[in-house]
Amino acid sequence: MNRKKQFTEGLITNNPVLVQQIGMCATMAITTTLFNGVGMGLSVLIILTCCNVVISALRKMIPGEIRLAIFVVVIAGFVTIVDLLLKAFVPALSEALGVFIPLIVVNCIIIGRAEAFCQKMPVKDSFFDGIFQGLGYTCVLIVMCVVREFLGAGRFGGGLIDVSNGFRFTLDGTGAGIQIFPESYGASIMSLPFGGFLTLGFLIAAMQYALKKAEDKKAKKAEEEKKEVEE
Amino acid sequence: MNKILKLSLVLFLISAIVAGVLGVINNITAPVIDAQRQAKTAAAFASVLKADRFDEIEFANPDFPTVQTVHKAEGVGYVVTSVFSGAQGNITLAVGVDNDYKCTGISVIEHSETSGLGANAASTGEVGVNFRAQFVGQDEGIALSNAGGSIDALTGATITSRAITEAVATSIRAVKSLA
Repeated sequence: MNRKKQFTEGLITNNPVLVQQIGMCATMAITTTLFNGVGMGLSVLIILTCCNVVISALRKMIPGEIRLAIFVVVIAGFVTIVDLLLKAFVPALSEALGVFIPLIVVNCIIIGRAEAFCQKMPVKDSFFDGIFQGLGYTCVLIVMCVVREFLGAGRFGGGLIDVSNGFRFTLDGTGAGIQIFPESYGASIMSLPFGGFLTLGFLIAAMQYALKKAEDKKAKKAEEEKKEVEE
Repeated sequence: MNKILKLSLVLFLISAIVAGVLGVINNITAPVIDAQRQAKTAAAFASVLKADRFDEIEFANPDFPTVQTVHKAEGVGYVVTSVFSGAQGNITLAVGVDNDYKCTGISVIEHSETSGLGANAASTGEVGVNFRAQFVGQDEGIALSNAGGSIDALTGATITSRAITEAVATSIRAVKSLA
């Protein structure tokens, strides 16, 4: 299978959030600071890749009748592992994301990819599918975080970047971020779930517009070529 | 019949493997998580009551089912930890109470409130600090401003704020019951 195509699909043409429109609940809930977005994105990426590999490796063993039950067991297993590891080693992230880490169990990106892809595809393809779909998810989260954090609190990189003592990355979530304008001038509604709906709506619209345009262009080109051949 | 047996066996095997792996991971992470919780509790105690030493005292009053532990700081006051339900799950709260039965500070030890709303009760940001500062100096008659008191709620829905306010009042009453 073509890796480049898989990459484009994960990030753009078949992006889990913007095109498949799955896994939206957490997307809207946690994208308030860059720290949360990157943390959540990477957690999903790791869980998705692990689940993809395991489910794909077991695909010949899994009887069709109980495949969903087995998917859920495998997914819940990996989510709990990541949850425990985060609690132990990145407590700030575990606290910031709260219940949304355990809720990855019911995030339809993971069971959706298992059902639509891994149960039919070899391990290697499933592995890359996990990475690219996970990246696509992470990218959307990052864009949403940047927009919402800027409009809502006038900040960039909250939790992840600290500039009080020279530029450095804070992986424990303590960095205050770069304040672009005073927090009190921000539209705090953007940090609330409403802002999540709004940002996601605009992002999906922009994505659909871009995809449609690319498609039209392709169709036009094909038509012109056809004409030329006819002439 | 054979088919059902086979299905059960496969599901059982996979569940057993997953459970085994989880057991191993839990064994590795449990002590780390526990140490972190203890450090956090110690920091929470220090932030609600200025004292060098906290000694746990026995507290088993059936009138206060939410109270988990009471620590006494000799001559200064008490720290009461309680577990009660918030908007999304249980909240663990430490409340400092001085010898005049006034609240000296509160600290949220554990919670699973909505990020950006109720979770602000525990945040280190301006909103969280201001919210918690309101409780300092309050007595057991404490109430939210929409109920005639002086505590401004975090959100319009006030679920988290009301739960915390009630827990602070309960903690003060628990300390009073000791006298």
